[in-house]
Amino acid sequence: MDKNRQGAKASYVALAVFIAAWVVLPSAFRRFNREAFAEFQAPALQLLSKGRDLSRYWELRSRTDEELISASRDLSRINAALELKLQGTDDMRRENSRLREMLRYPTSSEYLTVVARVVSRDTSSWWQSIIIRKGRNDGIRPGAPVVFGNHVIGRISVVHQNVSEVDLITSPTFRCTAFLDGDEPPRIVHVGGMAGNSLSAPRAKISVIPPGYSPPAGEVTKVITTGLGGVFPAGLIIGTIEGEVSKTPEANFKEAFMVPSKELDRIDEVSVLIPKYPSPGEILMSPGEFLKLEEFK
Amino acid sequence: MVGFVYVTLGLMYRQIFQASDLTRDAEYQTQRIVIRPPARGLIFDRNKQPLVENRVRWRVKADLMVLQPEIRKEYLKLLSQAKQENFFDKPDYDKLLENARVNILNRWLSKIWFVVDDNYQLNKTRTNKVYPLRDNPERRVNIDSLRKHLRESRAMKFTLISDLAFPGSTISKTPEEGDRAIARFIEQFPSGGPITLESDMVRSYPNGSLAAHVLGYVRDTDELPPNSEEFTDPILKRLQKLRYTGKKGAAGIEETMDYALRGTSGWELWNKTSTGYNKELVQSTSPVQGSEVVLTLNLNIQKAAEETLSNIRDSVGRPLPGAAVMLDVNTGEILAMASQPNFNPNRLADRVTNKYYDEIESAGGWLNRATQGLYAPGSTFKIITAIAGMRNHKVDWDDVLDCGAFYRVGNRNFPEHEPVGFGPVDVEKMLAISCNVWNYRVGLSVGPELLALEARRFGLDRPLLKNLNPSDTSKTYNYELPSTAKGMVIPDPDYKARIGGGAWNQGDTANTSIGQGFLLTTPLHMACFAASLARGETITTPTLIPTGGAKVAHIGSQPIGLNRLQLEAIRSGMYRCVEEGTAKSVRIPGLPYVAKTGTAEYFKTGVKAHLAWIIGYAPADRPVVAFAVLVEGQLDTSTWGGKTAGPVAQEMLKAWADIR
Amino acid sequence: MTHRGAWFLLLLATYPWLLGVDLLSSSLASWGLCFFISGAVIVTPCRRLRRWQCILFAASIGFLFEALRPIPDGSVALVLVFLSIYIHSYREALRSQSHVFFASMIANALVTLVWVVVAHVQCDAASSVDTFTFLYLAFVQVGLSAVLAALLISPISAVQNWAMDAIGLPAAELNR
Repeated sequence: MDKNRQGAKASYVALAVFIAAWVVLPSAFRRFNREAFAEFQAPALQLLSKGRDLSRYWELRSRTDEELISASRDLSRINAALELKLQGTDDMRRENSRLREMLRYPTSSEYLTVVARVVSRDTSSWWQSIIIRKGRNDGIRPGAPVVFGNHVIGRISVVHQNVSEVDLITSPTFRCTAFLDGDEPPRIVHVGGMAGNSLSAPRAKISVIPPGYSPPAGEVTKVITTGLGGVFPAGLIIGTIEGEVSKTPEANFKEAFMVPSKELDRIDEVSVLIPKYPSPGEILMSPGEFLKLEEFK
Repeated sequence: MVGFVYVTLGLMYRQIFQASDLTRDAEYQTQRIVIRPPARGLIFDRNKQPLVENRVRWRVKADLMVLQPEIRKEYLKLLSQAKQENFFDKPDYDKLLENARVNILNRWLSKIWFVVDDNYQLNKTRTNKVYPLRDNPERRVNIDSLRKHLRESRAMKFTLISDLAFPGSTISKTPEEGDRAIARFIEQFPSGGPITLESDMVRSYPNGSLAAHVLGYVRDTDELPPNSEEFTDPILKRLQKLRYTGKKGAAGIEETMDYALRGTSGWELWNKTSTGYNKELVQSTSPVQGSEVVLTLNLNIQKAAEETLSNIRDSVGRPLPGAAVMLDVNTGEILAMASQPNFNPNRLADRVTNKYYDEIESAGGWLNRATQGLYAPGSTFKIITAIAGMRNHKVDWDDVLDCGAFYRVGNRNFPEHEPVGFGPVDVEKMLAISCNVWNYRVGLSVGPELLALEARRFGLDRPLLKNLNPSDTSKTYNYELPSTAKGMVIPDPDYKARIGGGAWNQGDTANTSIGQGFLLTTPLHMACFAASLARGETITTPTLIPTGGAKVAHIGSQPIGLNRLQLEAIRSGMYRCVEEGTAKSVRIPGLPYVAKTGTAEYFKTGVKAHLAWIIGYAPADRPVVAFAVLVEGQLDTSTWGGKTAGPVAQEMLKAWADIR
Repeated sequence: MTHRGAWFLLLLATYPWLLGVDLLSSSLASWGLCFFISGAVIVTPCRRLRRWQCILFAASIGFLFEALRPIPDGSVALVLVFLSIYIHSYREALRSQSHVFFASMIANALVTLVWVVVAHVQCDAASSVDTFTFLYLAFVQVGLSAVLAALLISPISAVQNWAMDAIGLPAAELNR
């Protein structure tokens, strides 16, 4: 027993030395360590997700013919309606490109879209993230916006070989700019996640709302991306204002809470918009790339 | 035992009798009052176009505490370099530390500019390299402000960029670019580091330097807007109060109407629990925004005046100093008041940087030449000489005087501006061609006293812009604009004796009769004179605050005292001045107006130069607006009333006609 | 006789539990709570593994938790290593099942407290969340971890013991 305690003492010393070493160690080592353990878990997470897909498949297999027939009937109805809509969309697209040409407006296809399934959600009061089943191998890059339809979900925070972590818009580390419905002319407001404030459904906070703004009466006020920051395309819906728009204690500005437009803890599939060219922010995230730029030496 | 009883009794006493006092004392320590600033009132032109607004300012700050390890590392690096270079000399440690700080902050700034600068955004093909820091020295750390920060507010965050989206700065040229800069920073710059973005409200002048002299600017002050209620309650009075740095108007309407614009401060009474956490709001009143002020200015006419005025340049391309005023003939409402050179109040809204202050100072930009600039009225004064002549029966509207090439007064020849003279000249022709000799003759026959009397009757030496309707009588804001000119001069023999100029002579009268000599007045006075003439009266009370269309009493005004034919002669003379005379180059087809030009000599740093004047009103038959324009010629410029000042009047009239 | 790779095999045997708890967090994401068990799983192995193996095991468990979460590197792992050394030095006490039970609860709650605090300091919310809310959230999170440890320690312990038996580690009574 004594011998055991003696050995423990040595171990504590060793631990202390190791902690000291850990602090001064180059960050590349820590990054490698983190990456290694993430990659260790990635296959299991993927397997899990694939298993879930499989079980869904078998569940569908077990449906009766009746159910399938009615489902197929519903689908064909939806299909017909969509066909009709598509027709209209084609016309509009042509019109749009004609107008763009007239105005010499740059085309908006600055993004490649990658669709990814959600592997797992990880939420707490201090982080709000989901893991998706696409990674470096699929061309995912950090900082890329993640959307569902025209709703913003979040941004890619960390990219692994085959999975990536997405910082949700309710996460405290998330921030972006937005325009508010009914603000004419639109003025920039600040949107930041604020999950850490309660255990109820997480929200984001809209701040720096100009004091003259009041939301349109009797309507749900949408919060829309500006497209000015070079990360999110313009016109995506981030969420809606919840409750009232109140003045800050300083009474300089107003602020409001925002609920995400999609139920972030239920979402199963998302699209990652990968910019064709890396933005400066993305280059900053990999320090080596930035230092290569001659202008900033 | 006795001691025990004493202590017990003492405790009881304290518990029972002093308890309420003690709890109150405890409250003083745990409560405090926070004073909250109100938003300043907005200023509009007569059509409710915004002239002054409040806008969001975004500032990038660096937390020097968090940066400390990084700075330390850089310092050690610099130290070892210094040792390597010169081992034996003792390095200047303070200098090294400062360099280390500057290097680190510049490194972060380069990252910020990399994110914000337009050159590095998505799919921008970079053709030629731009060096964001090297090409723009003002993007680097300002060493002086860093030193000041370390001296005075070391514990606070250091402001790296004081206004990220300031339109008109090197950062962003347009509001749109400003928005982009903010959005890029928020969305792209890594969060959670030592660099943060903070926002507050500042005064904003959306039209830049437009009407700067009328509007003024704001500066920091410790003198706060009053609270909604005074803290009469003795408890509230004793509490610690947290104040803020307020703003007050420093010139123009911002200063004179500060009492209305500043609003009312709010206050909040906060409770802290004994642990210091969890503050709670006990009581509060919200601040009340200052009232809106609507001015009589018309944005379009103001723009036309300033643009044309700033286009008048000297031989090296610098804009000539000048002023332009247009006002409503009937109400006296000032539609435009421009003064050149001016300043951009946006750049003064934060804190006046000495450099910019000095720039304005050396250019003479602080002076509102329309209300504060004192000038000889030159030939525009000939109208008054003519009126004096006719009212004193020395000349009538149809009298023709023979005017040669000069007029001999005493032993000196007073010249005509036309070498051969004009021959026979009546009042009408005199005004059209601006004959000097006619005025010498009439002026001398009227005499200096009566000439001065006539000029005083038109109020050329009385202070203008008196505040007719002060809502705050306790203040000294007697004038609508601060420090309007008070040194106007209408000379007479008394005046000359008073200033020690010796005895009045005939030459002085001759000079006065053509608006030269000791005469001094302001462009606003001359515009008011034109308006009075248009109405056939003597006094016009100008104002910047709308009169609401009510019948305006031009205090002290009386009929001009000429018969119909005499007045008609003056008006048609001024009409001919535009149609065929000295202002022919600036006539406006379709808009007949009357004018009188003037070119006065003055001495600029001892050398003779010219002042260019034009005054008048429009339309000729049914006057609505009156105007006066003055341009200070430089030594090397040929400055003539019609040619130099005329275009400004012309553009103002065109702008007015457009919106009529 | 000890197996050099025993800790790793034990890690593989333990990992499904961690994964299962993550899955639980994922499907109950709307609760906004992180289900955490990594602190509890290091207790049982301390009875039979050698000290260096315990340390490696605990470090790996910690790094696995950190890898996909925005927690400062090493904060959980190093605390777990410290705990494992400490528990290892009192390994005789662990022969009693009730001691294992309490040890796991306390260890799990303690580690939770650590990552809650570092996560709070790490994220920007530190400036906007007031202290009272933080204490409340931390209390809920730590309580949840303790309860989860209490619920799961028996089956986890059983599985780990079974795995150690299968590897052929000597029983705790013989391991001195």
